[in-house]
Amino acid sequence: MSEDLRTERKGMLLAVKDLPTLPRVLEQVAKLLEDPLSSTEQVAKLISRDQVLSAKVLKMVNSPVYGFPGRISTIQHGLVLLGYNVIKGLIISTSVFELMTTSMSGLWEHSVGCAMACGVIAREAGFKEPEEYAVAGLLHDLGKVIVSLQLPEAKEEVEQAVAEGDLFYLEAEKKVLGFGHDRVNSWVADHWNLPLNLKVGISGHHRPVSAQHYPKMACVVHVGDFLTRVLEIGSGGEDHVPALDPQALELLGLDLSRLDIVLDAMVAEMEDDGLSMGLG
Amino acid sequence: MIPGRRQRFFLVSADAKKVVFFQELWPEQEVEWTIFQRGPMAVEQVFNAPPDLLLVDAELPQLSGTALVNMVKSENVYRQLPAVLCLGPEQLTAEMDFAGVEVDDFLLYPLSPVEARARLTLAVHRASRELDANPLTKLPGNTSIIHRIQDLIDRQEPFALAYVDLDHFKSFNDKYGFSRGDEVLMMSARVIVNIIRGFPGKLSFVGHVGGDDFVFILPADVMETACQRIVESFDGIVPHFYDQEDRDRGFILSTDRKGHMQQFPMMTISIAVLFNTDGRLRHFGEASQIAMNLKKKAKAQPGSCYVLDRRQ
Repeated sequence: MSEDLRTERKGMLLAVKDLPTLPRVLEQVAKLLEDPLSSTEQVAKLISRDQVLSAKVLKMVNSPVYGFPGRISTIQHGLVLLGYNVIKGLIISTSVFELMTTSMSGLWEHSVGCAMACGVIAREAGFKEPEEYAVAGLLHDLGKVIVSLQLPEAKEEVEQAVAEGDLFYLEAEKKVLGFGHDRVNSWVADHWNLPLNLKVGISGHHRPVSAQHYPKMACVVHVGDFLTRVLEIGSGGEDHVPALDPQALELLGLDLSRLDIVLDAMVAEMEDDGLSMGLG
Repeated sequence: MIPGRRQRFFLVSADAKKVVFFQELWPEQEVEWTIFQRGPMAVEQVFNAPPDLLLVDAELPQLSGTALVNMVKSENVYRQLPAVLCLGPEQLTAEMDFAGVEVDDFLLYPLSPVEARARLTLAVHRASRELDANPLTKLPGNTSIIHRIQDLIDRQEPFALAYVDLDHFKSFNDKYGFSRGDEVLMMSARVIVNIIRGFPGKLSFVGHVGGDDFVFILPADVMETACQRIVESFDGIVPHFYDQEDRDRGFILSTDRKGHMQQFPMMTISIAVLFNTDGRLRHFGEASQIAMNLKKKAKAQPGSCYVLDRRQ
């Protein structure tokens, strides 16, 4: 594709103003914010179940206005630093998806499932602040949401190519758009001043081992994405499960027996929390 | 106009009609106007005894109004003085260079007395807000802090007062530079403000004394909970302001006051709290004296902590 077309599309994607979200989540968060007895932990937990609200919180807290761009990578910290007043404003200004296509709702569940998986993997691998890995898992497919909002026709073409050409979603994106959602994620991360570790997590999960900084972050999301697909939580837009990079597991110091532990923990957490966000 | 004392306003104008117009805006016991017909005559008086407001006619025979304003406002000690330029319709053009003229506001003469009063009153209030705000965090500064505390003492209202400062902030600044230090101060301000806001009420107040020193006021019964939350949030967030390497190591290498390389721990937060529950405080000075002693105690403990002064 020509450089001009790519720049034009990048511009259109980054111009995304209002990422709409699920009415149900929005309502619940709004209710919690009005409740004087609610805790930041409760609000953070709820927002962490929605990739769009989470992305908005991180975008705002990392904006230069607050004076520490690129520093904050968890929702809990974002809430403490922004405060309820700002969060309320953010909720008020978020619109809802009136029409939720099946592919979209599948993506929502897939993202939440991946967040859970990443948190469990990071804990199992013994990493500090597993919460950050969960955030990267939650946002790893944000590029797909942005493409479907800003370039809806291209998104349909991609889906068609997946169905007809028997392609992976990423391959189809590259064929139709000239770049994949991993690239969109990387653009958005820069544009929103997201911390580098999050950027790597959401833009490097398809080529995890080659990430220059924070390869562990990319590897956790890579493995998390894989496990979520194996467990068939939601849908990433295709039926195939992309291959698991064995080097990624090695880099995380996980073998298959420990992966079993991760899977068990995931299943337990899913049963505990349920993935029913009013979607299924 | 402004409750309290009589205001001193300066007007520099050679136009007798304007002088009468402005002089008649307020009764004499509220605003005392001093009139200067030429810019140079005003300069010395402004420098020696700055008024509460300086109103300058743009059209002056000698030393233009804008030159006069710039002369005064370019000195840091007079920056807080509200300066208003009085323009005629023909002078207000698109070429007006507000980046080069350091005025705080302008009036378009002729105008109604109601508007003139409102605009000048607003200019005075705005200046008092801006003067005192910390330039980095925009939180109220020392004057507001002292005023607030003294006011509570005078009204014998019970309150708890917390002095906050960061430990090892200096070594962080030395190693990472001032702009990274400012990031930490902005973060700390946000943490304190949001946690204090979680306890709404007329007592809640946060001020920035300067550098890494903050102050906040809360009702006595919620103070300890607030301190716990601040310590917990600060400790969770501050590691993200270090480079990965230092964060993993858990300390930084920097030079001490004597120029020797030394290990410094990660930044922590110390809070010293005193209570004025029985009206024992008479003066702000007492409060700050007690707080300073408590702060030493708080700082002597390793890690983030708060110390409550329970002598009552």
